[in-house]
Amino acid sequence: MIAPLLFDAAVIGPLRHSPGRTVLAVLAIALGVALGLAIHLINRTAADEISLAARSAYGVADLAVESIASGFDENLYPMIARLPGVAAVSPEVEFEAKLVGRRGALKLRGVDAFRFRAMQPQFAALAGPMSHDSYAPTAADAIYLSASAARELALNVGDTLMVQVGLQSHPLHVGGVLPQAAMEDRAGVLDIGTAQWKFGRLGQLSRLNLRLAQGTSEKRVREMLAAMLPATVRVTTPGEATDEALRLSRAYRSNLTALALVALFTGGFFVYSTQSLAMLRRRREFAILHAIGVTRGEQLWLSLCGAALSGLCGAALGIAMGVGIASFGLQAIGADLGAGYVSGPSSLDLRLPEVAAFAILGLLVAIVGALRPALDASNIPTASALKAGDVAGDDIRPRGALALGLVGLAAMVLAVPPIDGLPLPGYAAIALLLLAAIVAMPSLVRCLLRYAPRLPGVTGQLAMAQIWGAARYATLSIAAIIVSFSLMVSMAIMVTSFRQSLDSWTQKLLPADVYVRAGYVGQTSYLDEHSARQIAQLPGVERVEFNRFAQIQLSSQFAPATLIARTLDPPSAERALWLVGSVADLDHKPAGASGGAAAALQPVPVWINEVAADLFALRPGDALELPLAGHQVAVSVHGIWRDYEHQNGAIVMNRDAYVRLTGDLAVNTVWIWMKEGASVPALQEAIRGVLPAGAEFDFRTPGDLRRMSLAAFDRTFAVTYLLELVAVFIGLFGIAAGISSQTLARRAEFGALRHLGLTRAQVGTMLAIEGTVLGAMGVAVGLLTGAIISLILIYVVNRQSFHWSMDLFVPAGWLAALSGALIAAAALVAVVSGRQAMSGDAVRAVKEDW
Amino acid sequence: MLRVENLVKSFAGTPHRKVLDGVSLHLSAGEYVAVMGESGSGKSTLLNLIAGLDIPQRGSIRLDGQELTQLDDASRTRLRRTRMGFVFQAFHLLPHLSVASNVALPLALNGVNRDRTAERVEEMLDAVGMLERQHDASSRLSGGEMQRVAIARALAHRPRLVLADEPTGNLDADSAAEVLALLQRQLKHDNAAGILVTHSEVAAATTDRIYRLTRDGLGPRDASP
Repeated sequence: MIAPLLFDAAVIGPLRHSPGRTVLAVLAIALGVALGLAIHLINRTAADEISLAARSAYGVADLAVESIASGFDENLYPMIARLPGVAAVSPEVEFEAKLVGRRGALKLRGVDAFRFRAMQPQFAALAGPMSHDSYAPTAADAIYLSASAARELALNVGDTLMVQVGLQSHPLHVGGVLPQAAMEDRAGVLDIGTAQWKFGRLGQLSRLNLRLAQGTSEKRVREMLAAMLPATVRVTTPGEATDEALRLSRAYRSNLTALALVALFTGGFFVYSTQSLAMLRRRREFAILHAIGVTRGEQLWLSLCGAALSGLCGAALGIAMGVGIASFGLQAIGADLGAGYVSGPSSLDLRLPEVAAFAILGLLVAIVGALRPALDASNIPTASALKAGDVAGDDIRPRGALALGLVGLAAMVLAVPPIDGLPLPGYAAIALLLLAAIVAMPSLVRCLLRYAPRLPGVTGQLAMAQIWGAARYATLSIAAIIVSFSLMVSMAIMVTSFRQSLDSWTQKLLPADVYVRAGYVGQTSYLDEHSARQIAQLPGVERVEFNRFAQIQLSSQFAPATLIARTLDPPSAERALWLVGSVADLDHKPAGASGGAAAALQPVPVWINEVAADLFALRPGDALELPLAGHQVAVSVHGIWRDYEHQNGAIVMNRDAYVRLTGDLAVNTVWIWMKEGASVPALQEAIRGVLPAGAEFDFRTPGDLRRMSLAAFDRTFAVTYLLELVAVFIGLFGIAAGISSQTLARRAEFGALRHLGLTRAQVGTMLAIEGTVLGAMGVAVGLLTGAIISLILIYVVNRQSFHWSMDLFVPAGWLAALSGALIAAAALVAVVSGRQAMSGDAVRAVKEDW
Repeated sequence: MLRVENLVKSFAGTPHRKVLDGVSLHLSAGEYVAVMGESGSGKSTLLNLIAGLDIPQRGSIRLDGQELTQLDDASRTRLRRTRMGFVFQAFHLLPHLSVASNVALPLALNGVNRDRTAERVEEMLDAVGMLERQHDASSRLSGGEMQRVAIARALAHRPRLVLADEPTGNLDADSAAEVLALLQRQLKHDNAAGILVTHSEVAAATTDRIYRLTRDGLGPRDASP
């Protein structure tokens, strides 16, 4: 039992005595907890929304039969409905309708209202009023909006929503707004007949939701379905579909969570650094306590109590800040922080276990951060520490072998493949490297000091002697900078590399002068070939290329990939795509690689993006079958191209081959090369003239698209920039805390130097040199460690998370400026602390704070 | 009460340095002795060994029949907590605590209840003439005042043995005389044994017996060469 007085003496007293240091330690933990909790809450909200949206497509269905291409023959419906064990079936057709006069599209679900009720009890509750309403779901042109869609589109009952089919506009009348529980995602429901007829899907269905009779074996029904379904149709359960939807954004969410935990780790390291310095400064206090009868176990306990107190305060503050940041983020940016997985603002749903978990995490980080310093403090040799004039000895122990061992372990961990699709080994390697840098610090400090140039003048020599003599303080001061600075450097290099690669990619992939787009994958709007040809013949147009987008399911384990049918000359594909692998690299060319008459019978050449190559384990030369227009088409992978757009995989095919295989002549994008001197605004007007009145299309120049891409990138990486700032902030805390606490504890030394005849300016110069040397050593090691970590982020973590390759770009100017700022800050803190320590009467007034 | 027999203590280094070699000392309750010797003769080392802050290579230290050298650090610390008091040359008051709280600390460590602690703290501070400053921060006291508070702290829990290591080393002559008289008076009042390590003949003269520590061991001052 520790007496309250002792608690006051050893825990509260020191915290009160050094309010600056205490506040900074609390803030460091609070920042970590706040970012961790905020990102977790935002991620969880995103996951909840994705999960609810996925589930709402199935209602209470036991099984679902789904198309993995653009749809399946509706004749399957009666066949499946008659299967033994199937109690009820609800057919649906689902697509994205391009909205007229608004940006984006709306998911529309065409349903049989009477069948649909069996799957959606909440929808059934509306059956009474619906049947008497003039806009009942069975009525043509009536649409029922989900609550979120109505809110976002600002539509009420009786309003009209204009949608585009091809280039024609069609009105849909809002017949009602569904309660939130009836449909969670942003969508509209309309009669299945209307949907098939108005949206060009006659005879096609997207999904059949099945309820099984009581006691029926799901496995048995799946077997029967498997026997009768074509290859382009799959069977799934609501749970499997939800997992699949969550998997799409999991890598993004996991990376954000990892970054947030890095912030918490940095906060924990700041606690370690400040606690270590405090323990060194308070070693005599610990010795006194031991001398008067406080056991070493009790001292350890007391030190940890102090850390726990800081951790609790930090956790409480961090939770309040985290909830605030999450609420703001959800309202301002959305649940996916701008990444595009969910749309619109979301509300925060706070759960006690999550808050408690982060409070405990903050507490644990503080305790773990203080554990080593506390153990050191409880083992101080009492007799020597009690001697008058005793100072902390230079008892740093070089641990070069351990550091090398950690680096070796990190290299081995990097060879481990991703775990469950997540780059966990990459993160483990980063943590090991950081630990190695910290463990290596004593050896590095010794090495750097040994080979440091001899500084001229007495102040320079005194400064170097001080750093050498107080190497343990120096090590701790530098370690704080290394952790935060290396993380910042790594993120800066990674983000710059990604941004520059994206910029280069947009320039390479956008060779035309103008892009006209009508609709995208799965959307109802498109240009018919006649309109596209008319655009090609407009004055000012030199030549055009046509693109068509479609969804294609390559594996039931993954979301549909994007099929891009574009004007492409197979032998010179590298001119149109940024190829990172090609059959040209192979010794044996696959079938279809050569032209000639035989090529018509050979597999169709396709080029897959890096995501598709990784997800489906495909390499140049591999053959596979694509479900196209209801049948399987043999294709051959001729190359892999770099792509930062299609996160579920993309396959490029020559449009002529696509048209031949599917008969689909529609066009989504027209790439236009203009004649010399032609005017872009005039061309835009001319295009508007050849398209039907009211038809909506996007008209973009490469500059527009580049700006939009980079803006989206910056929005997505806003959190990363915030984390970088936090790292810099904590780094500055660390260097300020380390140097100032050391300087303020050296009053007697400064007094002696003044007695020996050094002027205040000379002492100031000496401190500035010390600060500069310490800062420079921290920055040098931080740059090296950060550069290595950035390589892991670029070549391992990003590659495993998002399957994107990128080129290395180092923001040398930015890093040089930041390094200079950190070194200058270190020198400034040293000088300011020194002035405080030498300020005559003020010396007694100024507490040894920081 | 205290029996120190044939203590041997060396410190690692090049060359290997033997500080104490066959040192013995017997002390009865209420007996107050001074240990003198040249710098580096091992006076403070002897005190640290008796306090249990360090352990000898050989020899025995028995306090009230309990062998210190056989105890682990935690047991030695608990023994120090209950039966010993310390007065240091550099005072070593805890800077975050008030004068009264510093004196109360050993009582709190020994589980004395609040009322009895307050009573004893008042008694001790009155005895050392610091009652009026009881609420002051310890860092605001003069050297002499700090040492008086340190003596009150060392004796507050009625230890059987008080160890004083150069308690007047940082004080002027007047304050030193005052502190030495106070220490001697309080030891006698509580019938506690005391060991005073000092360079000062004046300080040593306030004790019952004077020992000199040399390379040949510890012996009465008269026996020294």
